[in-house]
Amino acid sequence: MKKFNYFLAALLGLSITYASAQTKKGSVLIKNATVLTVTEGTLENSDVLVQDGIIKQVGQNLSAPSGVETVDATGKYLMPGIIDAHSHVALDVVNEATAPIVAEVRMRDVVNPFEVGIYRALAGGVTISHAMHGSANVVGGQNVTLKHRWGSEDPADIIMQDAPRTIKFALGENPTRVHGRGKGTQPRTRMGVEAILRNGFNEALQYKKAWEDYNQASSQKGNTEVAPEYDERLQTLVDILEGKIIIHCHSYRADEIYMLINVARDFGIDKLVFQHTNEGFKVAPEIAEYTMGASVFADWWAYKFEVYYSTAFNAAILTENGAITSINSDSAELIRHLYHEAAKTQRYGGMTDEQALSMITINPARQLGIADKVGSIEVGKQADLVIFEGHPLSVYAKPQQTYVDGVKYFDIETDEDDQRLRVSPTEMVEPIFMIEEDHQCMQGTELYFSDISKTLFNTNY
Amino acid sequence: MKKTLLKAGVLGLLVAGWFSTNSLYAQSDPTGKKPVTSTYAITNATVITAPGASGTKATVLIKDGVIQGVGSNLNLPSEAQVIAGDSLFIYPGFIDGGSDAGITAPKDPERPKDFVSANPPDEIAGITPWRSAVDQYAADDKSVEDFRKAGFTIAQILPDGGMIAGKAAVVVFGSEYSTNVLKTNTALVSSFRGARGMYPGTAVGVMAKFRDIYQNTKLTQGRSNQYQTTSGVVRPEFNPTYQAMMEVINGQIPVMYTAPSELEVRRAISLQKELGFQLILTGLNDYANVIDVIKAANVPVLISLEIPDDKAIKAQKEEVDEATKAQYSRVQEAYDNAIKQAGLLEKAGVPFAFTTKGTKSGEVMKVLSSMIEHGLSEEGALAALTTNAASVLGMSRVAGTIEKGKMANLVITTDQLFAKDSQIKHVVVDGYIFEFDTKPKKKAGNEDSEGAAKVAGNWNYETESPAGSSGGTFEIVQDGSNYSGSISLDNPAGAGKINTDLEDINVNGKNLTFSFNIDAGGNDITINVSGEVEGESYDGTMSVAQFGSFPFKATLNPTLIAIK
Repeated sequence: MKKFNYFLAALLGLSITYASAQTKKGSVLIKNATVLTVTEGTLENSDVLVQDGIIKQVGQNLSAPSGVETVDATGKYLMPGIIDAHSHVALDVVNEATAPIVAEVRMRDVVNPFEVGIYRALAGGVTISHAMHGSANVVGGQNVTLKHRWGSEDPADIIMQDAPRTIKFALGENPTRVHGRGKGTQPRTRMGVEAILRNGFNEALQYKKAWEDYNQASSQKGNTEVAPEYDERLQTLVDILEGKIIIHCHSYRADEIYMLINVARDFGIDKLVFQHTNEGFKVAPEIAEYTMGASVFADWWAYKFEVYYSTAFNAAILTENGAITSINSDSAELIRHLYHEAAKTQRYGGMTDEQALSMITINPARQLGIADKVGSIEVGKQADLVIFEGHPLSVYAKPQQTYVDGVKYFDIETDEDDQRLRVSPTEMVEPIFMIEEDHQCMQGTELYFSDISKTLFNTNY
Repeated sequence: MKKTLLKAGVLGLLVAGWFSTNSLYAQSDPTGKKPVTSTYAITNATVITAPGASGTKATVLIKDGVIQGVGSNLNLPSEAQVIAGDSLFIYPGFIDGGSDAGITAPKDPERPKDFVSANPPDEIAGITPWRSAVDQYAADDKSVEDFRKAGFTIAQILPDGGMIAGKAAVVVFGSEYSTNVLKTNTALVSSFRGARGMYPGTAVGVMAKFRDIYQNTKLTQGRSNQYQTTSGVVRPEFNPTYQAMMEVINGQIPVMYTAPSELEVRRAISLQKELGFQLILTGLNDYANVIDVIKAANVPVLISLEIPDDKAIKAQKEEVDEATKAQYSRVQEAYDNAIKQAGLLEKAGVPFAFTTKGTKSGEVMKVLSSMIEHGLSEEGALAALTTNAASVLGMSRVAGTIEKGKMANLVITTDQLFAKDSQIKHVVVDGYIFEFDTKPKKKAGNEDSEGAAKVAGNWNYETESPAGSSGGTFEIVQDGSNYSGSISLDNPAGAGKINTDLEDINVNGKNLTFSFNIDAGGNDITINVSGEVEGESYDGTMSVAQFGSFPFKATLNPTLIAIK
């Protein structure tokens, strides 16, 4: 066992080096704002003091220590940085679509800190996004949680190094279309998806046992057992079984959602979040009891067959049933106004301000396993903050300034037309890649799965 | 197996060498090509012995491929053929850190009947570490001659292939009487390029797969050691991939990662830090912003011998609105930065050499001049071509400068190397003299009179985008000045290939443009292709409205020319 751990430690060496890298931390005193703490109520005319990236004090009549800049937010609203639990912003590659299970791939390998989408997200008050693998595979790659430290050159500097590992799963039409219809392999049906999952986890258990047996034997004198083959794919599934990784599963239909709940229960997995979850309202009590909730769209559906049975009341029904619920973007456009998306739950479902704001702050933070660090304005948390003109749930809301770790990365006053960090020296108009989920572009065609389409559209499902 | 063959080859060469010296005067040479002597003296030329050295008038004496002396008072043996060098300049022969001259990609292996794209055999997925560039190399290929003409005498040749293409080798661009191989197994050539339509298909899959291979090579070695020392251990399975990776995990040879862009440079370095292999970065095109990162990583660097094209800059118009002007200035700024980067790399104190992979041999001097014009010192340029490259290849003892005892590799020019009208008159490689015609500069407009490029025939094409690569064939039929044709491509609606007609085929000088339509789920999409024909290769871009443009490269299959 010991040897096995050493082996893992060696493999994880990279993340340890990353964690030691220093990112910029700022200090600021924001005064006289209406502070929407999300978890501790609304504080009128209050101040928030940030030092070295951490919220140090929340209260009235705070004074700035020497050298700390004061920002007057009289008449404005201050809320925690918005967290998008489903995004593909800042990734050079989204989908390794070639196998039904690709748990071994890591989105952190292909983070692109220069993508202007990060800045646009900041302009919409979003400070953290969950950069996910695509949904072509039953078990996709490992996602990465990003902090929008715009201007960083090292991809490691926009990765939230203290966030836990998460992984993408996908059910239903996407994996069955890519693998079943596209390649004639399992899974062709929803039953096949379940079989892939159960076989995968069972294989992972055998893999784990093989290593345990070997490690035990190898400490004996004259051991003749040889080391098993290393397989990062199975090792990642082992890590899921051991609770080290949170599953974020692309799903639409109630039956398949309930199927995955059962699979997870059978294998003792409780770190599970459903993504999209359009029929979540049908299984809301089950989601509430057995999982870390659902991350849904406010009102986006009908882009393919499995997404017709949908309602804008989904988020409210899930919330009222006690499921942790977040509203996500899955889009470079929606990410710019998630506060509007959250406000829709007030129109459809009568959510309170606090409930609606929770869906884009503390709730996604819980689902990403970072609620102890971000997601609300509380002393001791990381200072990811947004100053709004107008209440963020109003249609007139306008983000004014966005802070990550106390450092201001967006200010509407200094917003330039051209915010690109990198410009091609050889192209006057740079190619625009369609990096969106498949429900946006040409759904229902099989074009995605042929080589020429990959070349042409760089689709990510 | 291959190693044994090679050894036999080297031995054979030694025997042949011994044999030929003894029979030099005893046998006639019916070809009339064999040189009558292997001793040459280039007299009274301006000799620049190393980068930074000032030129001094001297004679260079060489014999049997070795420099015998450099100086003004050399005793010239009577068998020395004297080349009057009075007006000439002698430089050390250029060394190419990474070349694909003479390399032909091996044929794709047949897919097995039970092929599963999720788990393809290594060889089909582009994982072929056991391959050697030597097996793909033809010394008599025209591109070898072309690069020799451009001054290159030694090159590290890179095998063609996928994410792990195989092992590089060092060759000398010498005479046909030698095998010209100096070293094999010099580096493992790798890239982030995914396999087509199978695992691993993207950079993210490639990185995961590389880690897996690396760890399993370590485990394989462990099992092997255990088998040697403990009885009763199961015989380790022989796996050609892991076997060929052993030298990498043991630090005996470096991994040469192709990393054209800034982020790829960072990815290669982070993979190196994670796994601990020795690294050489190669094919760098866009690195102005990571010079400090490269410096901190302290790894050998081969930059592309290329400069960014100025098409976008030249297309800027005079009378435009303010917003467009602002955009223009950003592109201009990016261009100015990109064109300066070789100079910036030198200033940062990072020793670098060149790779000519992707470089046209005829543009070597043009590219170098541009780099020099934009900040690279002449000394730095010459060092990149000679001493730095020798050091990357671990060959400083025998190559890189003009010194007694080193290989007789020389570039002899009509003027100072980087002077405007300087031309290469001789290239001496391994003691063999290659002479080239030097002429007054060709007249302007000469190119136009050559007329339209020859495009008729069957072409094999390949396209690439961040999501992967694709390819097929297209055919162009010429009827007088009219062209028609068709292209095969992966069927957008399922498996197999489909054929569609080419439209608007236009040939203007070297430029070839055409377009075709595909039906993408009910949407008709027009794809425009444009680019330049150079001999039998086509270097173009494929653009699709709103989706951007992607490289489109093709080669003409010479056997099937179709002219009506």
